[in-house]
Formats: sequence, C-alpha cells, structure tokens
Amino acid sequence: ENWRGWNIHVEGYPNTVAMDKFAELLEEKTDGGITLQMFHGGTLGSQPDAIEQVRLGGLEIGNFNLGPIGPIAPEANVVSLPFIFKDPAHMFRVMNGEGGEKIAAGMEAKGLVPLAWYDSGARSFYNGAKPINSPEDVAGMKVRVMNNDLYSGMISQLGGNPSPMAFAEVYQSLKTGVVDGAENNWPSYESTGHFEVAGYYSLSEHLIIPECVCINADVYNGLDEAQQTALKEAAMESAELQRELWAEREAKSREMVEAAGVVTNEIANKLPFQEAMVPVYETYLEANPDLRPLVELIQSTE
Amino acid sequence: MTTDPDAGGKPRDFMRVVDALLDSVAMICRVITGLSLVGLTVIFGWLVYGRYVLNATPTWVEQVALLLVMVIAFIGAAVGVHEHTHLAVTGFRTLAPPWLRTVFVVVTDLLMAGFGLLMLIYGARLTAFKWDSMIPLIHVPEGLRSLPLTIGGGLITVFALAHLLRLALGRDLRSDIIS
Amino acid sequence: MGLTVLLGLFALCVVLGVPVAFALGIAALAAFAYEGLPLMIGFQRIVSGINVFSLMAIPFFIFAGELMFHGGIAMRLVRFASAAVGAVRGGLGIVNVFSSMLFGGISGSAVADISALGSILVPVMKEKGYDADYAVNVTVTSSIAGIIIPPSHNMIIFAIAAGGGISISKLFLSGVVPGVLMCCCLAIAAYIVAVRRGYRAEKFPGWAALTMAFLGAIPGLLTAVIIVGGVLSGVFTVTESGAFGAIYAFLVTLLVYRSITWANFTTAVISSVRTTAMVMILIACAGAFAYMLTFYRVPDKTIDLMTGLTQNPIMILLMINLALLILGMIMDMAALILICTPIFLPVAVSQGVDPYQFGMILLVNLGLGLCTPPVGACLFVGCAVGKLPMEKAVRTIWPFYLAILVALMLITFVPAVSLTLPGLLGM
Ligand code: NA
Ligand code: NA
Repeated sequence: ENWRGWNIHVEGYPNTVAMDKFAELLEEKTDGGITLQMFHGGTLGSQPDAIEQVRLGGLEIGNFNLGPIGPIAPEANVVSLPFIFKDPAHMFRVMNGEGGEKIAAGMEAKGLVPLAWYDSGARSFYNGAKPINSPEDVAGMKVRVMNNDLYSGMISQLGGNPSPMAFAEVYQSLKTGVVDGAENNWPSYESTGHFEVAGYYSLSEHLIIPECVCINADVYNGLDEAQQTALKEAAMESAELQRELWAEREAKSREMVEAAGVVTNEIANKLPFQEAMVPVYETYLEANPDLRPLVELIQSTE
Repeated sequence: MTTDPDAGGKPRDFMRVVDALLDSVAMICRVITGLSLVGLTVIFGWLVYGRYVLNATPTWVEQVALLLVMVIAFIGAAVGVHEHTHLAVTGFRTLAPPWLRTVFVVVTDLLMAGFGLLMLIYGARLTAFKWDSMIPLIHVPEGLRSLPLTIGGGLITVFALAHLLRLALGRDLRSDIIS
Repeated sequence: MGLTVLLGLFALCVVLGVPVAFALGIAALAAFAYEGLPLMIGFQRIVSGINVFSLMAIPFFIFAGELMFHGGIAMRLVRFASAAVGAVRGGLGIVNVFSSMLFGGISGSAVADISALGSILVPVMKEKGYDADYAVNVTVTSSIAGIIIPPSHNMIIFAIAAGGGISISKLFLSGVVPGVLMCCCLAIAAYIVAVRRGYRAEKFPGWAALTMAFLGAIPGLLTAVIIVGGVLSGVFTVTESGAFGAIYAFLVTLLVYRSITWANFTTAVISSVRTTAMVMILIACAGAFAYMLTFYRVPDKTIDLMTGLTQNPIMILLMINLALLILGMIMDMAALILICTPIFLPVAVSQGVDPYQFGMILLVNLGLGLCTPPVGACLFVGCAVGKLPMEKAVRTIWPFYLAILVALMLITFVPAVSLTLPGLLGM
C-alpha cells in the first residue's frame, strides 16, 4: 500500500525529520507492505484543510497540532485552555495517561486516530516595548492571536486588545506597530524573524499544545493487528526522535535570538495570569459542561 | 437579455419567459454580491476604527469578510456564466468551420453545466460535513463557507443549460458563432 | 498517465473555449477522479483557494480603481500628466505612458487601466493627429507598468502562490524601480516612434494651467499615497489599505469633486464585482489544479529537468523567461501566476535568485503576454477601445515590445533594480 502524509514544516525542521523517519520505520516494520510518501511544507493545503483531507480519506497520515483539531473534536480543545499545563513535562504526563486516552477517543469519533504525541514546546508572549511580568503589562497592548475564542478571551482577560490576523501579515504589523505583540514558541519566534521586530520575549508559557501523528480511522481499522502494532511502534519511535530534535532546536533558537539582542525574562509569579483566566474557563465549561471532568482530570494530574 | 426581432412561435415565447426569469435571477445575484462588496469595505473601515479609536479590535471582521468573499466569488461567477464575461480562449473556435464551432460550443456548455452540477452536489456534501464544527470567533457553522459554492454551482448549471436551449432555438448571442 | 489527464484535459477545454477558470477546475477534478481521491477534497481545494485573508485586498483595489474611474479621479490624473509633458514631441504618447504609471499605480489591474485610460486617451490622441495604431500600442504596452507599480493585485496573487513566505509590502516596494524603469523605456520608444512619424508637439499650457491641473489631481494622487503610505507607516495592513483606498476614493468623488452619482456608483460596484468574481473563481479553481500538480510532484520534476539541461544560472533564467513568455501568449495572467509560481520559483531560488526579484521577472513576462496575440486581454481591450483590428495594431507594436524586453533583461540580470529600494528602507 502506498500512503500519503502531510506536514506543515520545511526541510530540516524537527517534525520534518521525524516524519521522514516515521515513513522509513513504517516501511521497515511492515517489510515494505506500507510505504508513506511525505508532502512537507504544507504543499497540500493549510492545517485545517489537511485535517479534513485525512478525515475524508484523501490523505492517510498527518502531523497535526491539537489547536486546529479543537473545533472538530471538543475533547482536543481542552489543551487550548491557557495555562492548563504546568510545563511541557506535565503536558506529556497527561497525554500519555488517562487524559490522553480521552482526547484520543474524542478524535477517533471524528475519524482521526492519533498514533503518538509530538512536542511543539510552549508559546510565550513577545513584543517590542517591554518585558511582561504581570497582567498589567499586557493591558492596552494589541496582541496578535490565532483564531480561537480561548486565545482572544485570554488576551481580553489580561486587559489587552486581541487582534486576529493572517500569519503572513504579522511581521510587517509588528514592525510598523499595527500590533504591539504576538505569541509563539522559540523556534517560530526565531524562524519567522519576529525577534528582529519584537525584542522582548517573556516566558509566560501560556499555551503548551501537543502535536500528534494521526491516521485516517477507516484506514487504521482496516489494518491487521500486526500492521497496527508496527504503525504504533514506528510513530512512537519517531516521536522520541522528534522530542530530542525539538529540544535541540528550541535551545538553538533561543541561543540565536538572545545573541541577536533579544531580552528574555522569566515570569516569577504566574498566579495573577492564571487567576485572570477563571472567566475564560467558566465561559468554556458553561458551553461544554461534559468536558468539566476532563479539565479537572488534567488539572489534578501530577 | 435580448429583444427578439422576428417574434412569434411557441418556443420563442417560451424562451422569452425563460430569459426574463433568468435575467431577474441574475439581477438578484448582482444585488447580493454588490451589497457584499460594499459590506466588505465598510466592515474593514470598522476594523481599523475599532483598533485605533476604540482600542478594541472587532475580532469577527476577518471571518465574516472571508464568508462575504465566498458569496462574491461563487455567486458572481455564476452571473459571469450568464453574461459570458469569463475569460476564455475563443480564438480556436473562431477559426473552426461552422459545424465544428457548434460542436465546440455545445461541448463547452455541457461541460459547464456538468461542472456546475458537481459544484452543487459536492458543495452540499461539504456543507453538511462541516455543519457541526463552528467557525471560531463568529460561531456560525463552518459549513456556511461552502454554501455559496453550492448555490453558485446550481445557478451555473441553469445558466449553461439556458445557453444550450438558446442555441437550439437559434438565439445564441455568442457573436463568433452566429456568423 | 494521471498528469496527462490533468494537462491534456485542461488544454482540450481551453481549445474548446471553456472559460480558463472552469477548464482548470474540470481538469483538476478529472485527475482527482482518475487517482481515486475523494471529489469532496477537490471542492475543498476550490473553496480554500480563496479562503485566504490576503486575497481580500483584490476586491478592494479593483473597487478603488473603478470608483476612481467612474468618479472622475482618473480623468484629472490624465489632465495633469498631459499638462506636464504634453509639450514634448510625441508628448501625448509620453503622457499616456506616465498616466499609466500614475493610474496603474492605483488600480493595479492592467485591463482596468486600458479600459479606463484608453477610453479617455486614445480618442484624444486620434483627434490630435496621432495614428490609431500608435495610440493603441502605447496604451496597451504601458499598462504593464501598472502590474508592477504598487499596489497591484497580481503581486498579491504572486505572494499567495509563493506559499505565504513573501511579504506583500516588500514585494510592493520591489516593484517601484522596475516599474519606473519600464515606463522610461516605453517613453523613449514612444518618443522615437513619434519623431520618425513626424508627430508634432502640444503647446505648453503655461505654469498656471499646469499648477491648476496639479491641484485638481492632488486628491486623486492622494489615493496612492494613502494606500502605499498607510501600509509603510503601519497605520494599517495591506488589506486594510485597499479598503481605505476605496472608501477614500468614494469620499473624494462624493465630497470634493462631487462627480459621483448613484448611477456611477452602482456601475462601479457591479463592474468591481464582475472583475472580482472572475479573478476569484480563477484563483479558486487554480487551487485544485495546483494540488494535483503537487500530487504529481511537477515542481520537483521541473527542477530536475531544467538543471539537467544546463547548470548555467543565466541560461536557466533565460529558459524560464522564454517559457513564461510563451505561456503568457496563450493564457491569462492570474492563472499563470498561480500555476507557474510553485513550479519556477523553486528553480529560480535554487539558482540564487531572490524571490522578490523573481516576482518582478514573472510579472513583467506575463504582462508582456497580455499584449501579445493570440490571447492578450490587454491587446483585446486596447483594440476595442481604439476601434482597430488586432492585426493592424500588432504590425507596428514591435518598438514597444523591444522597450519592455530591455527593461525585462535589466530586471532579470541586475538584482539591484528590484532589491535596492526595499533594502534602503530596511526590509
Ligand atoms: Na499597480
Ligand atoms: Na496573453
């Protein structure tokens, strides 16, 4: 069988290397029974489109961030709640435990079977004016966020002005002041060049969203047990590689932007940020009451 | 759409009714798409006003604008089929002998009608498939995005079939055919 | 085999006279079916093709251009240009070139320029003793400048086709010098032909009249300032600047010139919608077509093919130029930008060409295609406006082709032409 896979990242990026490794392992472990042709760089469409293509069976495999899966599978949306994870290690403990199983079940109901979790680090705030240490520092700031009510709600609750904007327009907008700040992980902050025009990076780590290697559910259920095992093993092994490469890449990006003069600051007390999120959580849980146990499960996971 | 110099005969009367009907449909489409364009411009004005004057960027503008563009594109494209305004390479058809020219035109109209029908069918499926996920920030079904595709597809089929009907009755307006 | 279905069916549809947008869509869907891919994904690509935020600038630029034309702003710009350089031999030809520069700078659409400017200038030129073919040739070729002088919706299409890594503002800046350069080449051609044909000069209207014409044109010129200046100063994004251009043009014609009527306004709206829908459906269907090109790995194969033929970057660039020119002769611009960018941009980049410079090369090549038979939208419109058979116009157009070729070679082989200005402004 010849499968096709989607990945948004360019050559050399941790995910790209790991997905190529996954394809290689898959072929090896199935004795050439399954081959996977990867299309990198998002050439077959945007992330939401590719998710749809995997669900519809046009593609078999995809490496997706759980953020854009949220609008389709509500269980997956809980990881987009700001400050729900304490740190990346906590995120992995949750995803590899009962919480991860519940999220996976929600995704499977929508035709996506997650095979392994990838790392995408933590997203933090950056801007061109000053280090952010407390919600008051965000007040009045125009911050670019991705299209999600939770993210715009987060900025509003911190007193800022959430400005959804196409990703391609962000660099110029930061430079000219159409927006004051944005938020992303280290590698994106570096590779997009945003550090050139917004030199204060404050480690809020407000979003720690896992990524997944997903397969179309019908394709997965049509495999025999040996193939399913081979598939999961290949995905797991690629995930180990991805986390390793990700950590290296994160360190390298951080080193690079700091060498370029970016001012980084840890936020000593994140409690005021977390407390400001209470209305965001309340609104969300009112709209999705059946997700309350899952949110509580994640919060109580050590 | 046209005045008929040699009126008379049942099929021609029928065609005149069809023309009048389709012209009104096209006019309704023009009003809808025209309002969409003006609306698009106005909400962008509001976006900038909100960001600078109110310091509260209206977060719904981006997504609403994308929906309006779908309306302009697909409904407007259908009107373009009715009016023959789409860019096409007619050079080859002009060079062909008259009988072949008719074949070209008939096949073209059939292809257009077929494509419109596929737009209608698969647009509807796409709309249904995405109806229960919501577009972030504006909370309307994601399926609305492909609804204009569906409607535009249906209109294209109707307009293309009407061209064929007109051709059969010897009233086609494409000047390079009637020579 | 699947690739043959895709390309063959597309060619067949085009020959039959199926509108290019639908030819792309039909061929793409046939390939989807042939490969056993769900057709729903084909239509997802069609919808997603225009579900792109930056594309919003296109209806705005078109709308602004239409309002300027129907509201009398364009006419005042022409009056100013005519007062400024009309006293030179062949002056009206040069006026024509520089009017395209000013007005094309705003409408961003070559076809819109020709129908707007041509219908004002060509009759005036004929009346003053210029031959119709000269008038049409100048009008048609100079409209290409509008494609690369910002703002330009074709540039936005290029940025999108390039995959989102291209900054539209920087792209706009990259077009300024090449556009002015091209206008100068065309003005020289217009002057030489005018001298050889013995056309006489206009009388200089006097400084007072020039000043008056300038003052009258200021509100119109400000439209360009608002669009470009607004973006560069960071008041708004490119997309928002387009909307403001349209709102501003409306307010000027309503409050300053008082020349817009309800009828003018609705004409401008309907005409803008028509053009927008044409462009958008083309982009939409090209989205499905490009998906199948990627599916068949056509860009990778083209790189292999071209670098297999020669390793010389100059030869490769010339080959790209030639391929684009030939394609431009038979197809329309927006479709070609969407089809060719993903294929040729990686080739050019692999040869060390800057993507922004490549954008200029692509646009000028395809622009030239708009002025060539058999399929040249600009040439069609120009001949229609000048009431001239196409053969007659084409017989004497070569000096102007030559002028554009000179500009094209400079843009192709001197990166500084495109890249100096954005560099100076720190982009
Ligand atoms: Na322009
Ligand atoms: Na052409």
